[in-house]
Amino acid sequence: MHRFLSLSILLVGLFANAGSYAADAPPSITTADDLGPVVAQPIEFPHNRHAGNRNPADAADPSVPAKGGMEINCMYCHTYARRSIVSGIPPLRKCIGCHQSLPSVRETPRIKKLFEYWDAQKAIPWKKVHDLPDFVRFNHERHIERFYFKQGKPVQEVCGYCHGDVKNMTVARRQKPITMGWCVSCHEKNHPVDAKSTKTTHGPHDCWQCHK
Amino acid sequence: MIENSFNRRDFLKVLGWGGAAVALTGCGNTSVQDGKEIISSYVEMDLPEYAIPGISVYFNSTCAQCDAGCNIAGRVREGRVLKVEGNPASTINRGKTCGLGQAGVQAHYNPDRIREPLLRNGNKGEAITWDKALGLIGEKLNGVKGDEIAFLTGGVSGHSKVLLSNYLEALGSKNHYAYEAVAPSVVRAANKKAYGVEMPRLHLDKAKVVLSFGADFLGAWVSPVHFSQQYAQFRKASNGGRGVLVQVESKMTLTGANADRWLAIRPGTEGILALGIINALGVAGLSLPADAAAVSRAYDAERVSRDTGISVEQITKLAALLKERSPSLVIAGSAAEGYAHGSQNAAAVALLNSVLGNIGKTIDAPHKVPFPQVDVTKGNRSSIQALNDGIAAGQIKVLFNYGANPVYSAPASLKFKDNLSKVSFKVAFAHYMDETAVEADLVLPLDSALEDWGTSVPEYQSEGAQLNIHQPLMEKLHADTRGLGDILLALLKQRKADSYNDFEDFYSYMQAAVLKNKSALGGAAIEDYPFWEGTLSKGLLAMSSSAEKMSSKVSAAGLSLPAPAEQDGAYPLQLIPYVTPNMRDGRHANQPWLQESPDPLTTIVWDSWAELHPKTAAKLDIVEGDIIEVASRSGSVKVQAYIFPGIHPDVISMPLGNGHTTMGRWAKDIGVNTFGILDQIVDKDTGELAINETRVKISKSGKRVIVVKDEGFAGGNQDGKKIAVKTSTDKVELSGEV
Repeated sequence: MHRFLSLSILLVGLFANAGSYAADAPPSITTADDLGPVVAQPIEFPHNRHAGNRNPADAADPSVPAKGGMEINCMYCHTYARRSIVSGIPPLRKCIGCHQSLPSVRETPRIKKLFEYWDAQKAIPWKKVHDLPDFVRFNHERHIERFYFKQGKPVQEVCGYCHGDVKNMTVARRQKPITMGWCVSCHEKNHPVDAKSTKTTHGPHDCWQCHK
Repeated sequence: MIENSFNRRDFLKVLGWGGAAVALTGCGNTSVQDGKEIISSYVEMDLPEYAIPGISVYFNSTCAQCDAGCNIAGRVREGRVLKVEGNPASTINRGKTCGLGQAGVQAHYNPDRIREPLLRNGNKGEAITWDKALGLIGEKLNGVKGDEIAFLTGGVSGHSKVLLSNYLEALGSKNHYAYEAVAPSVVRAANKKAYGVEMPRLHLDKAKVVLSFGADFLGAWVSPVHFSQQYAQFRKASNGGRGVLVQVESKMTLTGANADRWLAIRPGTEGILALGIINALGVAGLSLPADAAAVSRAYDAERVSRDTGISVEQITKLAALLKERSPSLVIAGSAAEGYAHGSQNAAAVALLNSVLGNIGKTIDAPHKVPFPQVDVTKGNRSSIQALNDGIAAGQIKVLFNYGANPVYSAPASLKFKDNLSKVSFKVAFAHYMDETAVEADLVLPLDSALEDWGTSVPEYQSEGAQLNIHQPLMEKLHADTRGLGDILLALLKQRKADSYNDFEDFYSYMQAAVLKNKSALGGAAIEDYPFWEGTLSKGLLAMSSSAEKMSSKVSAAGLSLPAPAEQDGAYPLQLIPYVTPNMRDGRHANQPWLQESPDPLTTIVWDSWAELHPKTAAKLDIVEGDIIEVASRSGSVKVQAYIFPGIHPDVISMPLGNGHTTMGRWAKDIGVNTFGILDQIVDKDTGELAINETRVKISKSGKRVIVVKDEGFAGGNQDGKKIAVKTSTDKVELSGEV
C-alpha cells in the first residue's frame, strides 16, 4: 500500500509538471519589445517627471518650473551603474536631499508617503522590475563604459537599450525580453569602439562572460 | 544510513519517472521573476567610499574554527560576509584556508544560534534581558567563596583571556580549567621533557625524509594548512630530490594516504619501532650516543619485527633511508601518544630525531610570546578530570563554561553530566545549545566569530610570535547576542568598577591594551591612530620576540617501553578514535558543509562508521553496511560497518565528532558519539587520557543498511580505461628512494 501510494504521488507530480511545461510556451527570440508585468511599487515613482525631456515651452525661461521632465541623468540616482555590476537604488537620503527644498510638491500624496518612510527611518521596499536568474551575471559598468563614456551616446538611450523607454514611464516596467537570445542578438552586432573611431567590435560570446 | 526497506527495483522505477519530470521542467523558460524580489536601499547615504553595491571588499580577521589561528580575509558584499579566504600576509596559512575554515560562515549564519539570554525554568529556557542575566550572576556570586567558583574553557588566549583571568582574580578564584578533547597534550609534555619546549617548530620543507608516527599533519593535526604548504615544498624538493614521506600508524589518516610508504603497526608499539630504527641505524654504521645505544640495544630488528608486525626488511630499509638522506624529520602524532605509555612512545621518537641529528635543522625552538598574559592557555584532558573531581566532592558552587563541551566529549566513565547537578549555578557562554549548555542554569548567547572583537595567540607559530586580530566582518545578525569580551567586561565592572569603568566596551579595552604596548608590537615610531588603523587593516601584529631555549641533544634517561599488550580475549579489538579533518572534536558538527563533504578516506557523509580490516571482517562474517554493536567496558554503540584495507587487522576505528543529542538540526541524532565509549585509561607520566587504549568487542545486530558514500565499489568503475591503476604495495619498487 505504501509503495502504491508513493508511486502514484510521483506520477501525479509528473503530470502536474508536464502541464506547467505545456503552459510555458518557449519565448520568441526577437528584439521586439516584450512588456513585462505591471509591478506595484510602495511609492509610484514617476520616472517621466525626473528623467523625461523638458517641455520645450519651459526652456526659454529657466525660472519657470518644468512642466515636462527634468532630464536628470539616470546615474544621478542609479549612481553605481558606472562603478559596479549593479546600478543601485538611491538611498532615501538622496530623495529627501532634493525634496526638502521643494515645498511646492511637499503635500502631494506620493511625497507625503516618502516623508513617512524618512521620518520612520525605514528603507523603502522597492520591487525589483528587471530580474535575472542567479546564474546570469550582467555587468552595468561595462555597458555604461562602452556606450555612454566611449561612444558618447545619450544616457537615456544607453540605459534604454535594455530598460526600454523609462523616461516616459512612471513606475518602470520591463519592455525588453531580457533572455539569452536577446542579449546575444545585440552582442552579435558590430558596435564602434568609441565615438571617433570607425573600428567596430562585437560583444563577447564566451559562455563564462555571463555564466561564472 | 538508508534503511533497506525500500527495494532497489522500486527505487529505480521512481528514479526513472522522477528523472523524466525533472528533465521536462528543465526545458521551460528561465525563471525571470519580475516584481517578486524586494530590493531595499540604504536610508542614509554616508556610506564609506568602498561600500559599493555589487563590489566585494575584504576585511582581515582570524579564523576561529580550530586553534591553528589561521589569518583570514572575509569577502563582504552589501554588508554581508559571503566567503572566507586566507590572508596572504599570514605566516601561518599564507593566503590559504582549509574546508573547516571555509565552513566558518555557517557558524555565523547558523539558524540554530541562541539569540537571547536564557534562564532555566524547569526543563525550559526562558528568555530574559541582559541586565537581568548579568544581575543574576552578581547575585548568585554573593556569599560564594572564591575557590567554590570555577571557569571551564577550551584553549584560550588574547585579551579576552586577560579579562577572564582578571575576573577570576576579582572573584578570588584560581580555578581556571582549560579542556580540549583532542589536544596533543601527551606529545607536548614529552617534547617539554625531551627538547625543553612543548611544541617545537617543524620544517618539513627542509627535510628529505619525513617519518611520521601517526601525525595527521595534512588533515587535523596542530596546524594543517601551514603544514600542507610546507609539505608541498617538501615534495617539490627545492633542496634536491623529492622528499619521501613514511607514515607509521594503525589506522590510515589523510597524511597516511599521501605517504610513499604506509606501515600498519601493531597499536601501541610505535616506541618499540623508533628504538628498533635507532638500533638498525647503529647496525648500518651510524655512530650512536652511548645512552641511545644502550637503550636500543635490546631492540634488534627480529624482535622489533615480532613486536610491531613490521617486517625486518622494512625496518632495515627505513633505517637505510634515514641514514642516507639527511636531514630528516620524525614526528610523534596522536597514534603514538594515545596509550598508557604514550609519553614513552613520544620520548623514543624524540630520541630518534636527536640520533639522526635533526635538532636545529628540521626541528627548532619556537619564539616566546613576550606577553605571558595573552599567551595561549592550552587545553588538555587531565583538567576535566580535576574539575570533575572537584564537582563530585561538592567543592564547586558556581561554574562558568565557555568553548568546551565536556558533557559530550568527556569519557562517559567520568559521569560529568550527573555530577553537574551538584553545581548549584551553572553559566554557559554559548553559540548553540550544545550538550553542556543544555545543562546550564543560565545561557549567555555569544556573537559569532565573524561578529566579535578579540585577539588571540596561536599555539603553533611558524615564525616569530604573532598576535591575531579578530574583528567583525559584518553587523551582528541578532540584536541580543554579545561578544565574550563585552560580557566579561560587564562582569568585571560589577566587581572592580574603578578599574574598568573607563572602558566603554571590549573594543576600547582591546585598543587601549594594544596601543599601550605599541612599541613592542612594531609601532614605536607610529602615531596611535595610524598604528591602530593599520593593525585592523592587516589583521595581525608581529610581536618582538626571541626564540626559546631548546636542548640540542635528547637524553635517553628514563626511557623504558613496556612489552606489547597481550591479546585480550574478552575485548579482542583496539579502538582507535579517528579525528577527521572535518569534524575534529565535534564542535562544528552542526555545519552542514562539513557533514556533506565526504570523509577523505571512506567518502562517507552525514554519519559515523566503524572501520574494519577485510580479514577481520571476513573472520567475523561482517560485510559493509552491517550494523554492528561496538562495546567497550564503558559503553556500547550501534554503528554501520565499513571495510577498509588501510587499518591494522587488530584495530577498529570510529570517527569522533558526531552523535550529538542536541546542538541544532544538522548535528542532532547524526551518527554515534565515540567519546562516549572510551575507557578512562590514562598516560602514566602525564595523567592525560590515553585515547587509543580502549579495547572493544563487536557483535552483529542482524540489520544491514546502505552506506551513504561517494565512492563506488573497490577500484571504481573505470570501464576498463585504467584511469587510476592499482597494484599491491609489495610489488612497488622502492629501492630507488634510498
